[in-house]
Amino acid sequence: MSSRRSRQSGASRITDDQIIELVSKLRQLVPEIRNRRSDKVPASKVLQETCNYIRSLHREVDDLSERLSQLLATIDADSAEASIIRSLITQ
Amino acid sequence: MIFSPLIRRRRTSSRMLNSSSLKQEFLKKWIMGLQRCTSSNKNMSILERKKAIKLSADLAMASARNGRTSWSRAVIANASRESDKRILAERILQGPESEILLKKVSAMSVRMRSKKIVKRSCRSVRRSVPQKSLAANSIAKRLVQKRTHVLKSLVPGGEFMDEICLIEETLDYIAYLRAQVDVMRCIATAPELIIKRNSE
Repeated sequence: MSSRRSRQSGASRITDDQIIELVSKLRQLVPEIRNRRSDKVPASKVLQETCNYIRSLHREVDDLSERLSQLLATIDADSAEASIIRSLITQ
Repeated sequence: MIFSPLIRRRRTSSRMLNSSSLKQEFLKKWIMGLQRCTSSNKNMSILERKKAIKLSADLAMASARNGRTSWSRAVIANASRESDKRILAERILQGPESEILLKKVSAMSVRMRSKKIVKRSCRSVRRSVPQKSLAANSIAKRLVQKRTHVLKSLVPGGEFMDEICLIEETLDYIAYLRAQVDVMRCIATAPELIIKRNSE
């Protein structure tokens, strides 16, 4: 029903109701917005902070993959770190 | 708010996810996928290994969602489509559970692509904007549109979604991304912590 409504209106815009729902959920998830009052946060700001947050999470996954790869590269070395990782990753 | 009961019903499945069981599920799938990648190729370069780690983490996250969300299906579909990832992805996603998942994903992605073509042809017919809209209001609306477009590029499979789906999928995707980051961070920092604790 809701998708029919947005299709009839012709425009593909996010309505205010949806923004209110999104803000209340995002407030718990996104650190930046958590400290602000909900009625003062405009829709564009919420979307912007969400995009920034997702981007930072992607970057962190990338950095952690890099770090783990370097750790695993020493898997044949005799370091204690390598043996711990080895026992975690291999059989 | 007519749509909210609809959305709440759809979202309970994702809200009921228990954070620690999700992380366990992710960790198990990730380690299995990683073992499958590294067992056959012992002398990977650092870059190759990083790609394997990242891909197995992303696929583990997507398969933990079991194909119930668009973004998870899009992650798997994208991995199977890109030539450099496909072989690795197929190796990671072995087993009967993954076979079912892969079939579901390929069925859905055909439907999605035809939906996109229909949407594109609809968009070319634009209604005229009423003259009474205030300048400030329209600037804000345009900004929301622009940011929505960016969000669509960040969430996997986002460009096929309508606005409401996009918001739901974003919330689910962020929750899973956070779990992925937490687990990966634990594994990456565990060795130093253990060593430090043993040396104290």
